[in-house]
Amino acid sequence: MAKMVSLTIDGRPVSVSEGTLIVNAAKTIGIDVPVFCYHPKMEPVGMCRQCLVEVGRPAIDRATGQPVIENGQPKINFGPKLETACTTPVSEGMVVLSQSDKARASQKEILEFLLTSHPLDCPVCDKGGECPLQNLTMEHASPQSRFLFDEKHHAEKRVPLGDKIWLDRERCIQCARCIRFQEQVAGEPVLAFYQRGRSTDIITSSEPPFDSIFSGNTTDICPVGALTTADFRFGARPWEMKAAASICSLCPVGCNVTFNTRREAKSRARTGTTTAGGKVVIKRAMPRQNEQVNEIWICDRGRFEWHYVEREDRLEKPLVKKNGKLEKVSWKVAIEEIGNKVKGNKEEVVVLASGRLSNEDLFNLKQLADGLGGEALLYDSLPGGELTTKYGVSAGTNIGDMGAGTTILVAASDLYHEAPIWHLRVKQAAERGATLIIVNSEATRLDKYAKHLVRCEKGEAAKKVRELGAAVKDAKNLVIFFGADGSSALAEACAELVKSRAGKPNNGLVGVWPRANDQGALELGFKPAQDLQAVFEKASVVYIVGADPIGDGAIKTQNVKRKPFIIVQELFLTETAKLADVLLPAQAFTERDGSYTSGERRVQRFYPAVPALGETKADYAITALIAAELGIEVEGRSAGLVMDKLAAAVPAFADITYGKLAETTEQWPIIGRADLYYGGTSYQNSQGLGVPLGRENKKAEEGSL
Amino acid sequence: MLAEKYPNEVKKILAKYPPERKQSAVMPLLHLAQLEAGFVDRHAVVEIAGICGITETDVAEIIGFYTLYHDAPEGKLRLQVCTDISCALRGADEFLAKVCERLGIQPGGTTPDGLVTVEAVMCLAACDKAPMFQVQGPDGIAYHENMTVDKTMEFIETARKEVK
Ligand code: SF4
Ligand code: SF4
Ligand code: FES
Ligand code: FES
Repeated sequence: MAKMVSLTIDGRPVSVSEGTLIVNAAKTIGIDVPVFCYHPKMEPVGMCRQCLVEVGRPAIDRATGQPVIENGQPKINFGPKLETACTTPVSEGMVVLSQSDKARASQKEILEFLLTSHPLDCPVCDKGGECPLQNLTMEHASPQSRFLFDEKHHAEKRVPLGDKIWLDRERCIQCARCIRFQEQVAGEPVLAFYQRGRSTDIITSSEPPFDSIFSGNTTDICPVGALTTADFRFGARPWEMKAAASICSLCPVGCNVTFNTRREAKSRARTGTTTAGGKVVIKRAMPRQNEQVNEIWICDRGRFEWHYVEREDRLEKPLVKKNGKLEKVSWKVAIEEIGNKVKGNKEEVVVLASGRLSNEDLFNLKQLADGLGGEALLYDSLPGGELTTKYGVSAGTNIGDMGAGTTILVAASDLYHEAPIWHLRVKQAAERGATLIIVNSEATRLDKYAKHLVRCEKGEAAKKVRELGAAVKDAKNLVIFFGADGSSALAEACAELVKSRAGKPNNGLVGVWPRANDQGALELGFKPAQDLQAVFEKASVVYIVGADPIGDGAIKTQNVKRKPFIIVQELFLTETAKLADVLLPAQAFTERDGSYTSGERRVQRFYPAVPALGETKADYAITALIAAELGIEVEGRSAGLVMDKLAAAVPAFADITYGKLAETTEQWPIIGRADLYYGGTSYQNSQGLGVPLGRENKKAEEGSL
Repeated sequence: MLAEKYPNEVKKILAKYPPERKQSAVMPLLHLAQLEAGFVDRHAVVEIAGICGITETDVAEIIGFYTLYHDAPEGKLRLQVCTDISCALRGADEFLAKVCERLGIQPGGTTPDGLVTVEAVMCLAACDKAPMFQVQGPDGIAYHENMTVDKTMEFIETARKEVK
């Protein structure tokens, strides 16, 4: 425990650990010192001067080394100048005045100074409504400008910094948050200042420009509307949008996100890929704080690649094949068709599902397969991945806590591309002193942070990992991220190294899965599919959900000798769907609720953001319909009820309920809509931090300051 | 390419810095790169970033920060007139305006023949000898102090003939 220091801020006493900056100490007791350049996730630089406060320190008697007492009170010496709250650490007995006349005057002056070169074009600015400059101006600045409008500083307003981010040069207040984010947090210093003084510009000179998968985060922490995303630019005003908590579905990190939605005007024909008129559509994805998963960041895939759910070619109605052609039918007809076909073929039913589905969907599919005596297979996962259900990381694990004493091994995985936020957090752990070892056949962007870099041929990672054995044996904590390297040998070699550590926080395996919920599927007892071609030929009924083995080339139809009866449940008319005898339209994860299990074995809930499309139904509900037709009892009324059944059936999920998944605790840094200026536009988490599987130690879960 | 054209100079420059501080060589390398064309082109930025082990953005930032580095081709003769406060008090603004007028350009502009650029810069530490400007050439930087518009035009005409 760090030494505690007591001080008063605006007359209120506060005790914080030694080294805490005044601005953060104030934040803990709800006092907001205005800041622009300071950001709690980055090193302070003190360059905007917005946070000036009066600071007094107890006078010390030189002879005795004791504080001087005057009138029974310690004498406080105030310096002649104000100090920046964002760079000054607290000290014992300090007296901070953030609201004194002097402090307020300077805060007002700095704002006036910033506004001399800011266009204040809030009415057409994307940030307007969630803008720190706007908010702090309303709160601290003079309502009247002393500068002539015609003499405003003008600069280019449409500068693409790459294909994802646009810069409005005249709005930039040169706080360098974006530059520092790229340098310190992302580790990709591709932004910089150009020129000096009033001509200062943000530039990128990388090839391609602004070459970073984390670039979107700069638009969250930019305290003005200087940086905007090409995707959302001029898309909506912040106050017009609703917020729905969700989980990114694109990789196993499971970043917490918020979808902002808006009902489009009837007259508005299209937005992006959707015919929007009159519909509620998603306008943007924003990070939602979860310090144990994604902190306040998301990668650009998560931010921009959800558009597929709104594509125009979504399936909206069940279809049944008649005379070789898929024809629209009612749900009743489709389900009856399945019933007729399956009833005679029960023993040879195969369910093939992918990690795109939620825990609830997968659980129901497993129930159905079990009820029919069939098989439940997981489509296209890592060989040997089931080992993570035994030796996966357990409760209390947080990459954010890892540092000296922890060894992190990344084997046959390119985290930067496969699970970007893990890349970012592992990089930071390495910077805090964790020993990073990388075994890979190819160079990755994480290499430069590795203590040991082991190059190997493809398929040889397992051997190299085994050779490492002794080197990592003594590590206090050992976490292994592993990817695909041909066979299950790699997973086995990795498991061997962590076996003895199973159940200890910050120890164990993490599978870098191709999809968001492969972990969940394995926890629920799905078997990774081995030889799909053989499965296809053997089965009499194949029920394929959320997977396109034919489009992916995993099954070559021209080689299939005997075609089974095929049920496909999908969002789109995929190559596999075209072969279906019955094709059932599923809801996208943005239209329903459910939960995913992340690669770190954290179960997290997502909520509906937009109304469901056409006649689509949630996957778990469709499966329940089919089950009912076949006389098998499967819960399908709501995702929460399915979770209750799941928790009762699967020990690892034992005490999980939708209520528990929705619980939150206070997190640091404190961010939120009221104080956008401090942490940026990342959403506060009020809908659930999730629950790690097999948690033994609930205490470890509680957020600490 | 620097490494091909000036292998010895590059070696000499790098020798001045300990290997773990080689990014410090960026300044002399930029001067070297600027010798011929009067500006640092994209190839040189990439090459210097490689030599110094920093990013291209870092190099671009340095070029942007210093008035003496240029990343776009302008006039071969570049007059940088100080218009900072002390010089301004001795008529630098007017001086700049007149010189530009005589050349038929705006401050920051280049003459149609592409030979002369005139731009305003911050204090050059010759405050007592205003109006003044500096010109960068292969042999270093020359200061022209206590100037008049006529004297400046004379200088330009002579220099023009040389650079042509
Ligand atoms: S673009 Fe935004 S974040 Fe970057 S320096 Fe300018 S104001 Fe700050
Ligand atoms: S890291 Fe993965 S989960 Fe997080 S936003 Fe990116 S793709 Fe989504
Ligand atoms: S100087 Fe403190 S916030 Fe910028
Ligand atoms: S002000 Fe012009 S040289 Fe100093």
